Order: sequence, then structure tokens, then C-alpha cells
Amino acid sequence: MLAYYLALGLRHLRQSPILTGLIVVTLAVGVAASMSTLTVLRAMSGDPIPEKSDRLFTPNLDNRPDDGSSRDPRPPEMLTYRDAVALKNAKPGLRKSSVMRISPVIAPSRTDVKPFFGDGISVHADFFKMMDVPFVQGGPWSEADDARGNHVVVLRESMAEKLFGDAEPVGKTLHLDTYDATVTGVVSDAWEPVPRFYRLVSGPPPFRGVEDLFIPWSTAIANEMQPQGNVNCFTDPAPDAPPGYEGLKQSECIWVQFWVELASASDAPAYRDFLDGYVAEQRKLGRFPLPTNNKLFDVQGWLDVNKIVSKDTRLQTYLAFGFLLVCLVNCIGLLLAKFTARSGEIGVRRALGAPRRAIFKQYLVESGVVGLVGGAAGLGLTFASLWFLRKQSDEFAVLAKMDWMMLAITLVVAVVASLLAGILPTWRACQVQPALQLKSQ
Amino acid sequence: MEIQPILLTLRRSKTGAILVAAQVALTLAIICNALFVVKARIATIDRPSGVAEDEVFQIQYAAAGVIEDRKGMQQADLAALRAIPGVEAVAAVNSFPVSSSGWGMGVTLDGKPGSEIPTGVYFSGESFVNAMGLKLIAGRDFQAGDVREVDDRTDARVQADVVILSGRLARKLFGDEQKAIGKTVYQGSGKEAQQMRVIGVVDTLLSSSAPAIDDYAQSTFIWPIRYLGATAHYAVRAEPSQRARVMKDAEKALSALRPDRVLINLHDMGEIKYRRYRHERAGANMLIAVTIGLLLVTASGIVGVASLWVSQRRKQIGVRRALGARRRDIVRYFVTENLLITTAGVAAGIALAIGLNLFLVSKLELAKLPIPYLVGGMVAVWALGLASVIGPAWRAASVPPAIATRTA
Amino acid sequence: MLVMKKLSKVYRTENIETHALRGFDIHVREGEFVAVTGPSGSGKTTFLNIAGLLEDFTSGEYHLDGQDVRGLGDVARSRLRNEKIGFIFQSFNLIPDLNLFHNVDVPLRYRGMSRGERRERIEASLAQVGLASRMKHYPAELSGGQQQRVAIARALAGGPRLLLADEPTGNLDSQMARSVLELLEEINSRGTTILMVTHDPELAARANRNVHIIDGQVSDLVHEPVLRAAAAPATATP
Repeated sequence: MLAYYLALGLRHLRQSPILTGLIVVTLAVGVAASMSTLTVLRAMSGDPIPEKSDRLFTPNLDNRPDDGSSRDPRPPEMLTYRDAVALKNAKPGLRKSSVMRISPVIAPSRTDVKPFFGDGISVHADFFKMMDVPFVQGGPWSEADDARGNHVVVLRESMAEKLFGDAEPVGKTLHLDTYDATVTGVVSDAWEPVPRFYRLVSGPPPFRGVEDLFIPWSTAIANEMQPQGNVNCFTDPAPDAPPGYEGLKQSECIWVQFWVELASASDAPAYRDFLDGYVAEQRKLGRFPLPTNNKLFDVQGWLDVNKIVSKDTRLQTYLAFGFLLVCLVNCIGLLLAKFTARSGEIGVRRALGAPRRAIFKQYLVESGVVGLVGGAAGLGLTFASLWFLRKQSDEFAVLAKMDWMMLAITLVVAVVASLLAGILPTWRACQVQPALQLKSQ
Repeated sequence: MEIQPILLTLRRSKTGAILVAAQVALTLAIICNALFVVKARIATIDRPSGVAEDEVFQIQYAAAGVIEDRKGMQQADLAALRAIPGVEAVAAVNSFPVSSSGWGMGVTLDGKPGSEIPTGVYFSGESFVNAMGLKLIAGRDFQAGDVREVDDRTDARVQADVVILSGRLARKLFGDEQKAIGKTVYQGSGKEAQQMRVIGVVDTLLSSSAPAIDDYAQSTFIWPIRYLGATAHYAVRAEPSQRARVMKDAEKALSALRPDRVLINLHDMGEIKYRRYRHERAGANMLIAVTIGLLLVTASGIVGVASLWVSQRRKQIGVRRALGARRRDIVRYFVTENLLITTAGVAAGIALAIGLNLFLVSKLELAKLPIPYLVGGMVAVWALGLASVIGPAWRAASVPPAIATRTA
Repeated sequence: MLVMKKLSKVYRTENIETHALRGFDIHVREGEFVAVTGPSGSGKTTFLNIAGLLEDFTSGEYHLDGQDVRGLGDVARSRLRNEKIGFIFQSFNLIPDLNLFHNVDVPLRYRGMSRGERRERIEASLAQVGLASRMKHYPAELSGGQQQRVAIARALAGGPRLLLADEPTGNLDSQMARSVLELLEEINSRGTTILMVTHDPELAARANRNVHIIDGQVSDLVHEPVLRAAAAPATATP
């Protein structure tokens, strides 16, 4: 029976073409508006690393002064240099890495490319395994490289191509700031976790831009590379503090992001205890004057607390769905008009023995068929509007991308919307009195 | 006007009437709030920065090597820039308003912790006020004797004894810009608080982050500090008609001075503002698109239902015409009917608009909807209804009276 | 086959009551060919609608093929209509955007028959009315008489026990009318009960029983020999 109704629905698309056309257009526009905003919202709130987002954590320690100036209950969002070093060297935690944005000058050996500023991060070797970073060639540097602060570098595919063309990059050197660095591996261009949770705070918006290169943490520190993000100092430096970079390292200024991978999510309480113990010990040295206020966030928690999905995006999504609602109400009227024109046929079918529920099913399916056509048109419109959005800003370039799941959701939304819109007109169709219809010429 | 018969007829075509009224209500609710948000966005985007926006531009280089003689470099740069014809003022600065990157500190009236006002901080060894074209409304600008020099390789603290406040900050602390002159404020709080004396107040100076919340964006101050860092960052004010040429000359001059640095910013103030508000603009555009779309959809809905009724009532119209109704009476009938439905929709729509606004206020920190927006929305929707129904009403008026005598 | 006892149908609007049928008694036996005549407004169409379960009645009894139809729900009535009754209307009422095959198919679809069985019946039905060769054509391509024959094929496809015809030749010229009537007689001779509403006395004479309805009440012309005789001479045909 369903196949019969589908065939009838398809056939009757051609009937009352203006009305059908209006329904299709209205549905398409409503679907496109709501699905475009939903795509962006979903991309923004998606889990960037679902396979281990509950095992990756970032700690926040509260090293603010006890002079009443710290009113925000949230502890500072990054660590001081000494705390990051201490946590890395401590035993707890499966893998650990500090993260700092850097911008070294790159002078390639190719003479046709002028020196430029690279955009990268300095991390520990653990970082690559922790974040499941895929390599297309070579691999990360070794722990020994980490310890000795060796002159090595990992490049992203597009950067490797820019520097070395078609030649094999692994093993080659390039001039970074003041030294020559050897390439140990090339990271795939496809690695684009959305959002860039590992360097969420301080720096470019988390949906934009990718790192061109990665160098060992100790190398960046040894070469006094300036952190390219926020440096927040809650306490002024001590009067006898050394100036410059050394002073920065010894200060209570926060500028290091730190990530730790635990064996399982249930290890988090134990790690929290470790953090509390560390802070208690440091307190004996005169640091951490405030009562212990440590936080340990997993990836989702970190995204939530940083309000990664802006209010604007939420507003736009609500509005777009409101628009879809109005389109739906519009479709109800149009379907009503379309089905009213078919009262004659309905009367005949009823006379020939169709129970009301058969008429109901037939016309509901017909609404669904119109919805499918509207959904296909809406899908095309959604693609177009996403393309347009991508042109608007770099952020949207990352976020406004359709994937298979959204495609399916779009079609489902269109069909469900048309079925909902069709309920009233279909119910009306069933109430048609066959006797009245059959007499009228 | 025969309202009662119209209402009676409507009772029989309840469904269509309810559908149109529902669409009108939803559309009213959504466009009132959407246009309010658009206005707020545009207000943020149009906010004056305090800077002479058609005269000032930014030029910034980053070091590609180690630069030892920072002071020498800065002096050479400033001299080269001043030498360019058309240049009115130059200053080495730490950041630009509305540029997204800058310095932030806390300010208190008494140095006591717990009352810090988050503030945007600017400093220059030259006249920041002059180079940015700011308007001084109280007190005086800095003099050479006020300037302190800070080199981040040797000096751990950035501090000065005197300060110029933005008008908003001065009013917040002292109630009145003139009253602020000569008073003491503190940067930071507690035992590390730095005391400073207010010697001047500028009318407006937006912070570099320039957030939507105006109070945060307008609290800023200026220090007379010559900061010797690794980047060379300058504000240049030129005559508006000359600015484009001066920008090119500036790049040529500074790039020629030394090879060990790379140009990272060369933008006029207009460009800086444009880039900062990309998001707000996109949001406003989207809302406008949704509003237009809604109006079109509702219009098509009204046209659809009205046309349906015209075709269903052909016989009735013919009878009326045969009994002496003129064309304009038929038009008036349909227009009145439409007005009744639209008004019902507007009544429901007002309640919905307020409800939607309350929801947005609680969830998204929107402000409360002002009455003019409601009224504007109502007028727009009534006008839309009228414009939509005219077509079908005119077609109804063209139904020939002869139809009355033909059998159904 | 069809038994109505003291049936009445009252239409109520806001202020007015109309008695379309009052105290209506009729007994149609299986295999009869009954012509129902009467002036316009007499209630013959109402009678046909009620007989065909298209309308409900206010009081009385109606048994169709032994089954009491009072209190049956929509699904049961529809099934009864589908399986036991076939309809033929004055204005054919074919569905314009389906071809002949699919038009005849419609009642069979609501039976839940298999594809093969439906196909057999449709082909047989259309062959019976002589239009098998034009299966793929659309109603608009046929003449009035041919369209009515398709409607008859549609009515027959399900093998109904009772055929209800409302002025079946009203929109046809005399030649087509005759061929349709011959078809009906042939169907009746095979055992199908036919109830035909008509205001044409010639047609009425071809039936083997005449029922006259005036003001909602029936008078069976079997018992009114005077009127029968008046009808008879009209059957002399060239």
C-alpha cells in the first residue's frame, strides 16, 4: 500500500503546479535557514576528539594573591612556567604536554621563498600521541630530543610543501629564528580538530587557523621564544626579580597551557588529589595564598566553561528554527488549498470503498513526498548558503561544512516538517462527504 | 462597514483564518526581536572609537632577528615617519583601539582590593592623544618630563606617575571629568597597587577588545611610557586626502631602514574597525535575511489563503454584485476581512513577541524590547497584510455578476 | 439482498427539518433489476446514497446481504462498500490523471489483493466492457459512452453483489445510452442485483421491477399496474 501511495504522491506533484511549487519553495527556504545555522552550531559544539575526550584533562591552579582582588571564583585559565614544569616532571599522568603558541621566523633554504613568520606551537613529544595526530611521513621527535632541547621540528603537510616542494622533507633542515632545525616528521593537513581545544585560550579564535609547525617545548624556552598568547600577571614581580625572559619564567604570570592524558576517566579523582597535594606543598614555600581552588577539566568541560558556543550562534539558531516554524504554518495553508482541489477524487475513492484511514495515509504520504522534494531543494539551498557563509569569515570556513550526518538530518527535517504540516489538511481531506462530492458537476 | 457578516463567514472558514493569524503572530514576534538585535549590533559597530578615523593608520613590524639597539631603532623610525610629507603626528604605541590585541589592567579609586575596574591600557613616549587624534576635554596632555622609559629586557614593571583617563572611566570614578583632574587613582590593588595622578581626560577612547558591553569597552587610560620592546608599532595621523599615499610612503621608508624585520600590519583605522566587527556584521546580515524571508513567506501565505477564499466564494461574490455591490465594495469586503484576521494575529503576536523577548533576555542576555519596536512591527505587519490581499481582492472584484445565475 | 424497514432520513439545519425519506420500506431480492423513479427532490438520490452506505439514516433498519448495517463504524462500512457494492454515476467520476488500468485498479487496492490477482481482474473487467485494448489510455481520450463503460468495469472489477447506478445514461446520447443499458442487462443476467435511479421511462421499462418514490415514500409499481402499462409502449424500439 505504501508503494501505491508513494506512486500516487509522485504522480500528483504535477497537479496544481503553482501551489506545489510554493510549498516546495517555502519548505526549501525554511529548511535551508535552519539547517545552515544548525550545521554551524553542531560544528561549534561538536566533540573534537570523541575517542578520548573524557581522558584528556587540563588543570587550572589558583595562584592568585590573597588581597581581595580575586573576585572571580574561576581559577586562572593557564599555568605558570614553574607549575607546568613541575606537573610534567611529576609521576602521575600517562602522558603530559605543555602547549605554548610561538611565531618564529622561518628562513627556508629555497631562495625563491622569502623569510616569513611561522605560526606554530611548542609542545612535548607526548603531545602527538595524546592528541592522536596523524603523520604522513616520519614521526614526532624523541623523549631525548625533548630533554636536551634539540633543534628538531615537525611540519604540517602544506608548510612542508611550501618549504621543500616535492622533495622528501624528513631529515632536511630549515632555519628557525636563530638556529637550524631538522625535520623529523610531517603532520597530515587533514588533522583539524574543531575547535582547537588544546590551545583554546589566548590566541586566535579556536575555529580558525592551523599550526604550521611544532617544536620541542624545551627548545622554545632555551631560545627565549615569546609566548604568542595572553600573559596574565595577577601579582606584580618581586622587587629583586630578574628582568626579561628569566623573570617571566620565575614569575607568577600564567602563560602555559597544559594537557595530561589519564589511563581512564575514573583516574581523574586521583589526579585531582595529586594536584591538591602539590599545591599544599607549594604553599609551604609561600606560594598559593588562597584556599585550594584547583580545577581539572576534561575536553567537553573545558569547552563548556570557555563558552565555546557564543550566544550569537545560539540566537541565530533559535531564530532560524522560528523561521522554519512560520514556513511550516504557511505550508499547512498551501496543502489545505491543494487538497481541497482534490475533493472530487477523494469522494470517488471513498465511494469505492476506501476507509477514512486509507485516505489519511494516502494524503499524509503525499505531504511527505512534497516534503522530500522540498527537502532536496532545501539541501541544495543549504549547500549554497554554507558556501556563502564560508566566504564571510575564516571561522565559518571551518565550521560551515556539510557532512553526511547533516545531509541526512536535513532530509529528515524536511520530511517531518511536511508531515506535520500535512496532518491538518489530510484530516480535513478525510472528512469529505462522498455523497456531496459525487453529485456536484 | 459590515463587520458581523464578515465574522460569520470567517467562522465557517476557521482553518484558513487561524493559519493566517498564526503566521502573522509568529512573524511579528520574530521580526520585532530580530530587528532589535540588529539595531544593537549596528550600534556596536558604529560606535566611535575616539580616534580620528579618517586620518589615522597603523604600521607594525616584527623583529626577524635580535635587535639590540631598540631605542635607536625607534628614534630612527619616528624620524623617518615624521619626514614624510602630509604626516601630522606620529607615536610609538603598544596597541590600537578596536584591534583585538592589547593590554588590560585593573584600576581602583583607593587601592583597596575588591573594587577593580577592568581597563584597557595604552602607552606611548610621544603624544598618544595627538597621534590618534583624540579629543582632550579636561586637564592637559603629557609633557616630555612625564615620560618614563621601560625596556622589557631590563625592567620588570611597567609604571608611571601620571595618567590620562577616558571620559567614561573619569565619570565612573569621580562623577565628572573636571573633578577628576589632580586626583589619585591606583593601578592594581593591595600592596602592589601603583599610585597615579590624573592630569587629563579624553572624550572617548575604546579599548582594543571593544566588546559589545559598552561599559567595558569605554574604560581605558593612557600612560606616558616609552616602551622598548622587540616590535616596532606606530600610529600615524595624516590628512585624510593624503592618508593612502602616506601609508605607502611609510612602508617604503621603514622597510628601507633595516632588513631584519617583517611588516605584519599596515591598516587604516577604517580597516581595523571593519575586521573587528566581522562577526557582528555577519550576524546582523543573517537576521535581516531572516526578517525579509519571513515577511515574504507570510505575504505568500496571505495571498494563498485569500485566493482560495475568492475561488470558493465566486458564487457569493457574483450574487452580491448582481444585487448592486460595486467593485470597490467587494474589494473593501476582502480588505476588511484581512484586517480583522491580521489584527487578531497582531494581538497574539504582541504577546508572543514579549514572551520571546523574555526568553531571549534570560537565555542570551538580550535587553528588553522597547515599545517602538513592537509598534513598528505591528505597522509593518498590517501593511504587509494589506499589500498581500490587494491582488486577490481585485480579482474578486472582477468576478462577473452573471455567475449568480449559473448553477453551481 | 437489500432490506429496508421503516427507514427515515431527516436533514436538520439550524431552523429547518427536511424529511428526505419517511417510513421507507423496500425489499430487493437477489438478481433483481430495479429501476427507481420519481420527481426531483423525491428522495431517490438519498435512497441510493443510503443503500450504498454513503450516508447514514436517522431511524429504521437496513440489512444488506443479511447484515444489519446500523452501528457499523467507518472501516466496516468501507469494507462492505468495497466488497459488496459497485457504483456507477451520471458524471462517470473517473480520476482524470490515472489511466484506465489504474482507474479500475482503485477499488481493488483497498482489498489488499496481490498484484497478479488485480491485474487479472482488471483485464477481465475491461474486456467485459470491450475496452481492454485501451488500458493505457486516459479518460480524457475517450468518448462519454466509453468513459461510462470504464466506470462500469471499475464497479464490476471487485465482483460486487449489488450494483448501484445513479442516472447512468444521463450524460450520454441515445446510441451510447442503449449500449450501456445492454451492458447492464447482460450483467444482471449473470446474477448481479442492479438498483438503477432514472427519470427516463424508457430505461425504467427495461428493468424487471419498478419502484416509484414520491415525497420520501416508496410505491412499488409491481403493485400499480396502471403506471406499468403507461410505461410499456415506450419500449417499442426501432
